[in-house]
Amino acid sequence: MFAHRRLWSAVAWLTRPRVAVLAGLAHVCLLTGCAGEYSTLDPAGPSALAVSWLWWGMLLAFGLVWFAVIGLWLLAVRRDPGDVSDAQAQRLQNRWIIGGGLVLPGVSIAVLLAFGIPVGHGMLPLSADEDVLRIEVTGYQWYWQVEYPDAGVSLEDELHIPAGEPVHIHLRSNDVIRSFWVPRLAGKLDAIPGHENVLKLQADQAGVYRGLCAEFCGLLHADMGFTVEAHEREDFEQWLSDAARDD
Amino acid sequence: MTDSQGHDGGAQHRRLDAVWANWPGWRTLAAVNHTSIGLRFMLTGVFFFLVGGVLAMLARTQLALPAQDILSADVYNQVFTMHGTVMMFLFAIPVLEGLALYMIPKMIGARDLVFPRISSLGYYCYLFGGLIILSSLFVGQAPDSGWFMYTPLSSAEHAPGMGSDFWLLGITFVEISAMAAGIELTVSILRSRAPGMTLRHMPIFCWYILAMALMIVFGFPPLILASVLLELERAAGMPFFEVAAGGDPILWQHLFWLFGHPEVYIIFLPAAAVVSTLIPVFAQRPIVGYRWLVLAIIVTGFISFGLWVHHMFTIGIPKLAQAFFSVASMLVAVPTAIQLFAWLATLWTGRVIRSLPMLWIFGFLVIFVCGGLTGVMLALVPFNWQVHDTHFVVAHLHYVVVGGMLFPLIAGFYYWLPHFSGRMSTPVLGALGFWLTFIGFNATFLLMHLTGLLGMPRRVYTYEAGLGWDWLNLLSSVGGFVMAAGIALVLLDIALHFRFGRPAGRNPWNADTLEWATNTPPAPYNFASLPALDTRHPLWRQPELLQSIPAGEHGLTDIRHGRRETYGTEAVSGRLREVIHLPGNSWLPLLGALMLAVVCVSLLVRIYPMALLGVVGAAVFLLRWGWENGAHPRAAPLTANEPDNPPLHSRTCDGPGLWGMWVTLMANGTLYLSLLFGWFYLWTAAPQWTTPETLSVDRVAMVAAGLVLTGAVVAYGRLVRALCKGRATFLAGGLLLVTTLGCLHLAVVLWALLGAGLTPTEHAHDAMLLVMFLYLLFHAGLATVLSLLQALRVRLGYVGVRLPYEPVVLRPLWLYTLAVYWLSVALFLFLPAAWGAGG
Amino acid sequence: MLQATHPFQLVAGLLVWAIWFVVLYAGLSVGCAVAPPAAEQGDLNWLNGGLGAISLATTLLLVLAAWRCWQAAAVPSVDRQGAFFARLGAAIHGVSALATAAIAIPVVAYPPCV
Repeated sequence: MFAHRRLWSAVAWLTRPRVAVLAGLAHVCLLTGCAGEYSTLDPAGPSALAVSWLWWGMLLAFGLVWFAVIGLWLLAVRRDPGDVSDAQAQRLQNRWIIGGGLVLPGVSIAVLLAFGIPVGHGMLPLSADEDVLRIEVTGYQWYWQVEYPDAGVSLEDELHIPAGEPVHIHLRSNDVIRSFWVPRLAGKLDAIPGHENVLKLQADQAGVYRGLCAEFCGLLHADMGFTVEAHEREDFEQWLSDAARDD
Repeated sequence: MTDSQGHDGGAQHRRLDAVWANWPGWRTLAAVNHTSIGLRFMLTGVFFFLVGGVLAMLARTQLALPAQDILSADVYNQVFTMHGTVMMFLFAIPVLEGLALYMIPKMIGARDLVFPRISSLGYYCYLFGGLIILSSLFVGQAPDSGWFMYTPLSSAEHAPGMGSDFWLLGITFVEISAMAAGIELTVSILRSRAPGMTLRHMPIFCWYILAMALMIVFGFPPLILASVLLELERAAGMPFFEVAAGGDPILWQHLFWLFGHPEVYIIFLPAAAVVSTLIPVFAQRPIVGYRWLVLAIIVTGFISFGLWVHHMFTIGIPKLAQAFFSVASMLVAVPTAIQLFAWLATLWTGRVIRSLPMLWIFGFLVIFVCGGLTGVMLALVPFNWQVHDTHFVVAHLHYVVVGGMLFPLIAGFYYWLPHFSGRMSTPVLGALGFWLTFIGFNATFLLMHLTGLLGMPRRVYTYEAGLGWDWLNLLSSVGGFVMAAGIALVLLDIALHFRFGRPAGRNPWNADTLEWATNTPPAPYNFASLPALDTRHPLWRQPELLQSIPAGEHGLTDIRHGRRETYGTEAVSGRLREVIHLPGNSWLPLLGALMLAVVCVSLLVRIYPMALLGVVGAAVFLLRWGWENGAHPRAAPLTANEPDNPPLHSRTCDGPGLWGMWVTLMANGTLYLSLLFGWFYLWTAAPQWTTPETLSVDRVAMVAAGLVLTGAVVAYGRLVRALCKGRATFLAGGLLLVTTLGCLHLAVVLWALLGAGLTPTEHAHDAMLLVMFLYLLFHAGLATVLSLLQALRVRLGYVGVRLPYEPVVLRPLWLYTLAVYWLSVALFLFLPAAWGAGG
Repeated sequence: MLQATHPFQLVAGLLVWAIWFVVLYAGLSVGCAVAPPAAEQGDLNWLNGGLGAISLATTLLLVLAAWRCWQAAAVPSVDRQGAFFARLGAAIHGVSALATAAIAIPVVAYPPCV
């Protein structure tokens, strides 16, 4: 059918240069961009990894939706509809609105939740893993106070954790609200005066990971960076006992 | 038709003009006409848009390269705070209100809005409030805690300067204009449509604006309450948000986002209204799926109030609660998708005319759909935990508000330019402006998604090199300047068209809606005669209206009485009910707003006696305003030959004022519910909240005062019922009795308050109680004073058997006062004690 | 009972939804403040059960109201204005029912207070 050929030519016209652009962008990203020290696209922990997969999936699916809608629009603006009776318009309306306005978002939401709810569940610090290491982090203007209550170790802007296992960060704030975030490991969580929040953090490999304050916290908000150093289990025990002795 | 000013019956037009025109010269400041006020709103909004744009360019300059110090951290914080504040509160909302104020009466076939002086008051509150906020930049004390003003960062301890006060007082002042527009538009759309225009015959634009207006009515009070509480904390030390004294900073976040999320839809709905109006005109066929659109509008209006917590996914509330809000946030995509596919289907079935407005609508589509899709992504909680507070969100929100508001707005400006000026714009310059804006915008913000994914947080004044953010930021900054150039071209194009544009003639786009039946530019009375309508597309179905309206062939042409008048019709059926007489030019709104500005500035510099003087001044002008109503010689005095079919509205027991009162009370009730929410929130969630063992307020006295108030309200109700049945024998005396009971009630409540010995600066509990008391005293006091004035008006003959209107309008205020009194006594004074006894 | 052709049907369904939403969120918050079920119970506890039951009842109520409006719109004697309200009212009750059911789904997936 003629209309079909037009549709395909429009789709081809739309996608040809753009696929190239996307592929190029992805290429650039993989070579240079994705590997930043704060990059959520270069995950190094289970939570960040799961979310990065969510992102790539959503990008693909929603990218298609986006191009399809723009393509439809361009086609609708260019084509000659001929004489459309009111009854035809009514049928078309119901088909499009029910399909595009109800079914499309409905299915998208269902799929999103099917993937998203288990991922979210996995990121929760459940009390079932009670024997995990507890680290207390308190926000000050403008630094993070880090305490290991069991070992009696106290640090500033510097965390040490064992690699390959979860730790619980207990977040508090001494003054204003801020947000504790190590992008390559896990999502962020706020430190709020009067409240305590618990964040589950895990690094798969030993290494140094950088973190920052994500919630605006005043004058030196940009300078509230910190590091998380993950050690192999034995090295971590060693570090902890050394640090406890020095204190 | 060659002459857009072509008049049949020039003498009639001169007579109408004499009644409706603004005063000349500087006295035009007393104008109340919706066309003038709407244009002023829009022009002032564009001015603030340019201010906000300059601030954005400053921020992008600072971020163009890593480790720059063109702006210090302190200045940068002020710049981004003011950028957000100016764009949201001083540009987006007011400019759309302006468009709605300008368009609505013309679309529904009315001559003006039903409360013209409120239009004017709203404008001046907006102007003065905006200038006060802007002045903070010039004294170097601009707010610097972000446009969301999270406490404790914005509290007296962590923001000791005047910056937060500028924000809290200035924004609250500006909100008066939003509330005014919300109330006025609601009542105008419901009660002053052309005879015969039922709800289902309203242009789709009006459904959108009705939803927006009602959303303002319910959406802004939480912010107003939050601002008042925070300012009380800063200025008077009442610790609503201070943990140590039983407050909680999270309360601010709830109240702020209870406003803040509906706000996004408050600016999207009118923009979508523009899209839904333009698309059928350029497709030259009626919009497909009118009912589907109405459904989408209503659903958006409700669901958008159930999303606010998605701004708070990282504060650590239970995951289950987050999931509720996550699903609700995704669901709001459904009505948006319905609208999108209705627009697509309309274009699909029509022969689309290419034009500059349609180009901007295309830009809207590309950008807004992308913003909507990233919005659904952000609603997914685990993903939100990663990208919240990063530049990904900055990109998303600009895609939503620039795509969803600015692009349709400019499309609307180009579409209605011939209406404002009588001239068409030039296509070449306009297209260039569009492409520069479009390309610049996408260069700035499409890349910014990636910047955010690479971990760049929001609101940092600088960043170190080598994190992968450098080239992205540089390109974003370049894009920002390209976009600025595009906007400059658009403004140049619009400015030039006033001089060089070719005359438009009438209805140049062959549109279907009634606003194109006015002259271009329109006469202050819009229509020389008011037609009856029973179609959604009057100018397509009855093109002869273009001649018959100016020829005076329809209703309400008599102007010998010298009153401004329009039709009042039934809310649903559009049946003709009454003639609404409207006030003319008046200084009172300007004077009232000036006095409120005095209050605002005095509170800012903390000279409280002057603030008190300002309050008294404002009260005097506002009460004088209420005095010049009804049968007052400056309004519509009783005459020998009163029109009785239909009657003047002030001669009836129903009318726009009664509706205005109810809508105002809905807003007020939302404010009260927000206060109740704060009370219960702090009670259940604040970490160090304490309820005192024994309550110091004398509960017996409070119950006694409540009984007196109940007596007053019952007596008032009987008076009004008798009055509407034509009996007014005991009216003045009865009103004086009500006033006396009101005074007695006030005295007892005041006595109970003074005897309670509250310590509102030490405990959030007592601070809440004090606010509750002040709220009750204000309402009972206001109702009492107004009843006293009614008694005086009965004596002077402005109120009586033939003029029962004003006491009827006042009755809901008494009922409301009574309801909140008993609710407060029960929930603030008795419930905590009962709860404590039980558990 | 409110007539199915009454203009108030345009908001009735969503008002019910709004009230249900407040009850859901407030019920969860107060429940967690007063007597939080242990996280080990998962989603099988009195709080999730109660919220789920309320949600189910609300959904059924809304579906019923949608059906009633739909029937009223189909009656031949109804005027066009009334049919407009009834038809839209049916859709709005339907959407409200869907929204209620969808938003309540997490009740079967998450423990309440963590």
